[in-house]
Amino acid sequence: MGATLVIGAGIAGMQAALDIADAGFKVYLVERDPSIGGRMAQLDETFPTLDCSSCILTPKMVSVGGHPNIELLTYSEVVQLEGDVGDFRVKVRRRPRYIDADKCTACGICAENCRLKGRIDSEFNVGMGKRSAAYVPFPQAVPLKYTIDSERCLMVQRGKCGESPPCRNACPAGAVDFDQQEEIVDLQVDSVIVATGFDPFDPHLKPEYGYGLYDNVITGLQFERLSSASGPTYGEIKLNDREINDVVFIQCVGSRDRNLGNVYCSRVCCMYTAKQAHLVREKLPDARVTVFYMDIRAFGKGFEEFYDRVREERVQYRRGNPAEIHRRGDRLVVRAEDTLLGQPVEVEADLVVLAIGLVPRADTQALAELLGLSSCEDGFFQEAHPKFRPTETDVSGVFLAGCCQGPKDIPDAVAQGKAAAASAIVIMSRSGSALTPGEE
Amino acid sequence: MAAKVGVYICHCGINIAHTVDVEAVAQAAQDLANVTVSRDYIYMCSDPGQQLIQDDIRELGLNRVVVASCSPRMHELTFRRAVQEAGLNPYFLQIANIREQCSWVHGDRESATEKAQGIVSSAVARACLLQPLEERDVEITPAALVIGGGIAGLQAALDIADAGFKAYVVEKQATVGGHVAQLARTFPTLDNVQTLLAELVERAQAHPNIDVLTNSRVLEVDGFIGSFRVQVGSQPADSLPETTAELAVGAIIVATGFDVFDASLKPEFGYGAYENVITGLELEKRLMESEASNGASPLGDGAVKDVVFIQCVGSRDRTLGNAYCSRVCCMSTAKQAHLVRQELPDARITVFYMDVRAFGKGFEQFYDRVREERVLYRRGNPSEIYKRGDRLVARAEDTLLGKPVEVEADLVVLATGLVPRSDADEIGSLLKLSRSEDGFLMELHPKLGPVDTTTDGVFLAGCCQGPKDITDTIAQAKAAASSALIPLSVGKVRVESITCALDPLLCSGCGLCAEACIYSALALDERRNVMVANQVLCKGCGACSTACPSGAIVLNHFTPDQILAEVESVV
Repeated sequence: MGATLVIGAGIAGMQAALDIADAGFKVYLVERDPSIGGRMAQLDETFPTLDCSSCILTPKMVSVGGHPNIELLTYSEVVQLEGDVGDFRVKVRRRPRYIDADKCTACGICAENCRLKGRIDSEFNVGMGKRSAAYVPFPQAVPLKYTIDSERCLMVQRGKCGESPPCRNACPAGAVDFDQQEEIVDLQVDSVIVATGFDPFDPHLKPEYGYGLYDNVITGLQFERLSSASGPTYGEIKLNDREINDVVFIQCVGSRDRNLGNVYCSRVCCMYTAKQAHLVREKLPDARVTVFYMDIRAFGKGFEEFYDRVREERVQYRRGNPAEIHRRGDRLVVRAEDTLLGQPVEVEADLVVLAIGLVPRADTQALAELLGLSSCEDGFFQEAHPKFRPTETDVSGVFLAGCCQGPKDIPDAVAQGKAAAASAIVIMSRSGSALTPGEE
Repeated sequence: MAAKVGVYICHCGINIAHTVDVEAVAQAAQDLANVTVSRDYIYMCSDPGQQLIQDDIRELGLNRVVVASCSPRMHELTFRRAVQEAGLNPYFLQIANIREQCSWVHGDRESATEKAQGIVSSAVARACLLQPLEERDVEITPAALVIGGGIAGLQAALDIADAGFKAYVVEKQATVGGHVAQLARTFPTLDNVQTLLAELVERAQAHPNIDVLTNSRVLEVDGFIGSFRVQVGSQPADSLPETTAELAVGAIIVATGFDVFDASLKPEFGYGAYENVITGLELEKRLMESEASNGASPLGDGAVKDVVFIQCVGSRDRTLGNAYCSRVCCMSTAKQAHLVRQELPDARITVFYMDVRAFGKGFEQFYDRVREERVLYRRGNPSEIYKRGDRLVARAEDTLLGKPVEVEADLVVLATGLVPRSDADEIGSLLKLSRSEDGFLMELHPKLGPVDTTTDGVFLAGCCQGPKDITDTIAQAKAAASSALIPLSVGKVRVESITCALDPLLCSGCGLCAEACIYSALALDERRNVMVANQVLCKGCGACSTACPSGAIVLNHFTPDQILAEVESVV
């Protein structure tokens, strides 16, 4: 039977899995987080068409979750890979959810009753909302099953949570099970697609911008949650009830920056900033909106047109890379050299949004060793040839898709996911092993 | 048989229940005509939720199901499968959208609850009148047509052929390779393009599953996904007449590429007037020839001391109607500046740019390297080039200095952009593809469907969809191959069940429906003078039924009585 392992269930991995499964082959889709969906699930609207991200993503997640040829292994990690193309043997570690997925109805009573309710930062809302130790990352999660965060749960960490854990006492389905153990699943596959994505740049590494010091300096990803109707403010641009009249966006934070060792361009920040500037204009019609940039890289379909539109919406683009942000009274001041005016400028702000770049995942090196891959100068996985073989690797039968190979936007990640799928389908077709549709 | 309807109200966690009193909605539904059972549940889409519906179908003999939940785009398929497993026709399911169209857009609980009740009652009224529909599959001819023999077309053909299917590559020119055959070196790795291209071409030409038809063009395309019939005209030499052949294929990949912007449309740059104003491609040609002839300088013997590159020629230019960025010129200019620097170590090299778009892997590093090689980047868009004595002068505003500058040059290289092919309309109408605002062929969805189109079985690869570099073109070509390999591998494809139904007794053959149909699913049967609907091409959009003046066409699943029942229950 032909099968492919896809590592990572963001948009690239999901698309690769769907194409392979739709072509009649088996897919094991391994995702480290409790839900599939990846970064795209966190986004508000997409550039330049302003489609609602989760509205176009979640139907795809449902298709993946319900596909007869896709076996989802969420909350799981690949720990070993042996063998060769056509016969890879893989070990996957399934972490215990401490909740029996067969019994869980996602009623949420465990989270309601968790002793740590409202005390753990929500990763999905990038710290701008709270969750319990028993949680689903977001309401449209697939699979829609609760997970007990073993790193935070008092019962798991200390073996004790009051007299007895309230989540277990409250669960009407009897699904909470602290005796669950980690499990190792053995798989045999013909090919492997790596779609592990990226990490957002940590803006603490640019202390001059005061991230973490000033609560109204936020990242682009946090802005997405702030602007999202499903986010912590239900889509209102507000922070701690402060009135927002001036918004400053700073591009290239963590990108094109030799001092940090991130020489490369992150490819998406120019356009997501333009989109966010547009969203601010939409929601705060009278705000002053300023964007500091180095070059505007509006290179995709409809991008230049969108950039033009945003400028016509009274968003001021100033060419220059701010040197620092400091506080003056209760406002922030962004200091930069405007390179078109050739003089220093100061712009006051109530909200500063840092367009943080995309960096290689922290575990890239470990995964590279596990899979026998190499990484390139900028730290992302190295493809077989930068021009003619962008989704292949030096390991026959192992392919790359999406941002693990380098920053890219959604359509380019989707195209690469499909490209990697084509290579996997070729391998499985040769071994003559297509499933009949619907057969497992 | 009387309708026995089951109504299921989903809480969607708190997504619906927070704003809508779901229990009250379920209770109200209980009193509606034909409702046998009405329940609410925290997540109808979960396994236990679906089980609830299936048990009721089996135990209570339900023959219609209404699920009041999220948009049908989310879970209609999920619930259709669920009712089908329990023995009902999947089209006996009706979704009432009380999330996107109610709880998510209202704040007041009382009026939102009232509205949800209205939505549910109209869904019940409609459900009672639903008719069973048949699910249909069509067979797939195990072969693909690839239009265009550039790198996109060749790569797509190779993936399809490697997976065991026949691929026909139809190329207008006498040779394959497309525009890439005119390039010297790649950016940013400076590989010899022709060596890399030759590998691709040789693999394609030697592949037993690939037929390359050069000097050929697609004349006509008939049919639909799974069984296209394609007329291909071939003319091996000008003196010979064109011969035609018919190909039968299951899928089509369009990889027709781009045209290079015609620099003479920017007369202020003097292209055509001054012989030392050349395009980037012309420079590539000189560089290639010099490389082939081993050493002869591509730029003359010491005559060239100042070289000026001008970016964005024909791109980002509203006055020309080309508002878009051509995506490759910044980097090909950086590469050419580097190659010129190698040829002419002492030349002054200036690049005029608007923004430098070095966004790909290794691009920024390469751009940095080129600047370190004493290539002067000046931000500004030259307004004109004129001749002073035997030299050229580029006049521009340097926007960083904030003042006008003049730069003398012996050679000016114009980074001409990529524009849609002049025959894009022709190919578009052959395959019923539309074009985006910028004139390139339009993909199904700008984010999630970058290689699919509104015509099932027809996919896009490479620059016909928009400018892109070699890397992105190869990825897209493989992506298009993947889309084509899905029906080819499975051997059949499920087509839309919700299609139009035409009553020939009422039809006068006026053809208004055919004008409204963007899928070309309607044609006139001249013998009977009535329209005929192709049930495979029809996507069930309903445009025809609204266009028909005599009410001869109805859209199955959205019949007038079904829609009126929905409306009447809420007015």
